[in-house]
Formats: sequence, C-alpha cells, structure tokens
Amino acid sequence: MTVAVWIGVMLLGGVGAVARFQLDRAVSKRTARPFPFGTLVVNLSGALLLGFFAGLALSPHMALLAGTGFVGSYTTFSTWMLETQRLGEERQVVAAFANIAVSVVLGLAAAWLGQSIGAAL
Amino acid sequence: MTDYLKLTSYFAERLRHGERFLSDSLLDLYGDHAVATSVVLRGIASFGPHHELRSDQSLSLSEDSPIAIAAVDVEDKMAGLADQVSAMVSRGLVTLERVQLGGSAPTPDAAKLTVYVGRQDRDDGRPAYRAVCEVLHRLGFAGASVFLGVDGTARGERKRATFFSRNVGVPVMIIAVGTGRQVADALPELETLLRQPFFTIERVQLCKRDGELLAAPTALPAADEQGRPLWQKLMIYTSEAALHDGVPIHRAIVRRLFDSRSANGATVLRGIWGFHGDHEPHGDKWIQLARRVPVTTVVVDAPDRIAASFEIIDGLTSEHGLVTSELVPALVSVDDGKRVGGTGLAQYGY
Repeated sequence: MTVAVWIGVMLLGGVGAVARFQLDRAVSKRTARPFPFGTLVVNLSGALLLGFFAGLALSPHMALLAGTGFVGSYTTFSTWMLETQRLGEERQVVAAFANIAVSVVLGLAAAWLGQSIGAAL
Repeated sequence: MTDYLKLTSYFAERLRHGERFLSDSLLDLYGDHAVATSVVLRGIASFGPHHELRSDQSLSLSEDSPIAIAAVDVEDKMAGLADQVSAMVSRGLVTLERVQLGGSAPTPDAAKLTVYVGRQDRDDGRPAYRAVCEVLHRLGFAGASVFLGVDGTARGERKRATFFSRNVGVPVMIIAVGTGRQVADALPELETLLRQPFFTIERVQLCKRDGELLAAPTALPAADEQGRPLWQKLMIYTSEAALHDGVPIHRAIVRRLFDSRSANGATVLRGIWGFHGDHEPHGDKWIQLARRVPVTTVVVDAPDRIAASFEIIDGLTSEHGLVTSELVPALVSVDDGKRVGGTGLAQYGY
C-alpha cells in the first residue's frame, strides 16, 4: 500500500511540474507587462487548491497524493524568488516589491477561500 | 588585400539539426573548417518572423534562449560555409558582412572594432577584456561591450566552455564603436597588450550617442544595381538598468518592435563588462541591487523597416543609449521552410 502511495506521489509530482510549466508559459506569452504573471497565477491557483484540499479533510494517503504530490510540485517558491531577484537586477524595484506583496496577500486570501469552499462541501 | 567575411546566425537554442542541437552542429562545422574565429553567444530576449517572444524574465520562457553565432574568416571559405549554414537553419536568420582584419586597410570615418580574446587571457594580472576596455575608454571610444562566449573557435581551433574547466581560450568578444582615428590609435596599443590579437574593423554610422541624435540611419535603396537586396542592421547599446518610462530600455525596444510589427526580429545580448558615454568601464560587483552590465539589441531588416524601427528606438533612447547603423550585404531569413533573401553579396557604395 505505501509503495503504491509513494509511486503515486512521484507520478502526480511529475504531472504538477508539467502543469506549472505549461500554465506559466501560456500566461507569460499572453501578458505584455514585464511582470512574472505566470508564476503568480500558478502560485495563487496552487494556494487555492491546497486550501481546498485542506478544507475537504482528506484521508492521509489522499492528502499526501494531492497536497504534497501534486500541489507541492505545481507551486514554486524558488521561481517566485528568482524572478523577483531578476526584476531587481534591472532596477524594477516597484515591480519586485509588488511581486512579493501581491503574492503574499492574494496567496493568503486564495488559501483561505479554498479552505472555506472545501469545508462548505 | 584578402577580403574577410563575418557570418552571423541567430536562432533559438533548442533548434535541432538532425539529432543534435544546431549550435553544436554549426560549431563542429566551423571546427572542421578551422574557421579563424567564431563565438557562440546566448541572448536574453528575442523574437523573429514567427512572432514568438523569448525572454529570460520568466523561468519557463527562458528554457529556450536566443543564440547568436559570429564567425570570421577569408571570403572564399565563409561564402561556402554561408550556403551550408543557411541550409542547416530551419528557423532563424543568417547574415553575411564584409570586415577588414585589423590594420590591413584604411579605417572609415566611424568604425566598429571587434576584438577577440580568450576567457583566461590576462594583462598584468587582470582579465584582458578589462585592459582592452581601459585602453578604448582612454582613447575616447563612444562605447565598448564585452560578451562571454560559451563555445567557439580561436585561430582555427575549437574552444568549448565546460562546467569543470578553467575554459582557457574560450572566446570573449569585445565590440567597440569609435572614429577611424581612434581605431587607428587603438590598434598598436592592443597589439602590444594582447598575446595573439585578432580584431576586425567594420564601417558603421553613428546615429545616437548618450541619447543625442547625431544622424538618422542612411536611407538605403531596397536593392543594388544588380537587383540584389540590401539589408541594414541597427545595434543599440544601453545599460541593463537604464530605464525608459520605468521599463529597461532593451525590454521596451523589443516589446515595441514586437507589438508594432515594424521589425521582423530583434535579439538582445547581455555583456559582462563595458561602457558607453563618459563613465568608467564597469560590470558586476559582489554586492549590488541592480546589475551594471551593458546590453546590446540587434535589429537586422530591410532598409524601409529599419527606418520605421529607428523611429521607435529613437523615442525610447531619448536619454541613454548608443545607436549605430550598418549595411548588411547578404541575409537569409528562414521560417519553417519559407526562405527570404540569399547569400549573394550586394554591392553598394555610400
């Protein structure tokens, strides 16, 4: 049983990474402003989803698969930091701070919203 | 006097030729033909006729960086290679330009001096490229930018950068813009400074310096007397952290050219060291917020599209920036089997 769960985490982790890459690229190509909207959309939707799963109060195995496996590899802290640092390199100070502030504020709101929806079901 | 040609190709890093990456195949070809000098540069932003924007601002968009490869050797060898290279590129741009080898011909009014050094070449303990920039700055050059090659050939020998290596001899390219007089003064100094100097001189027109408009790019006809098309190249030298309306100038240029469709393509290269204007040569420091490195935006197109692009670029470089214009006598643009131009060199005196 546990072996099957770990294999499931690996597979869903891979799916999450590919989903993030595709969504980030699709969003980035459609936005005109030099702001990392792709990563923002990925992280906000991930926070909403993880909040939703938490609200559903899944079984430990399901929580591991959906939360750690899928959402864990779907969202990205490192890309968020790297892109913020790159904005700073090009002296885009306002955009760099906005990227942090907007992600934190909307991210918390998304997690709360997801949890509320999950709990209501 | 032997004539030399510079063959430049622009394409995306993940583009393949058969089973291999195109840049590897091209450098194997240059190595096999012992091309005198060639250098592979990775860009930070670009777009082409396919109208797909590449940028290193987002991680997902940066997994397929733009590549620019310059190669210089005698005319006969490069003309043959140009046909082979343009047949190998399935999507991208190939240009041929006439160059003079340092000191072999009278220098034109305004000139672009390109110096090729090795990554570990030193002068008095400091990197050779810094010593070269110091000389060029002292002589009053309008600007110089240093670009780190990741692969290339030097004096006909393949020099490829690898992770666990000191990368001795991997080519570094220094592009400088000055008057003919300044270039003539620089050559003997650089010859004593560098161990095995290799430099080329090209004719350019200085259009803008420090944001000040000196002359619009010369309006060239669409073709020469034999009907071979003429092309024109703009190079815009700015600092990575120089902003126009809150956006780095090079990003604004690419965005505006992309949106307005006034140019078929543009490529941005980031340097590691350099100067333009009166400030001292500079590069990255250990502790810094914004990077102090030069970036160069290259736009090659038909003369009428260059005139339209220059109007946009002129507006975006109102305070900073060095802009030059050059004649490009041959160009091949390939977009999925659709080919424009050819490798036959146009003749036009201006």
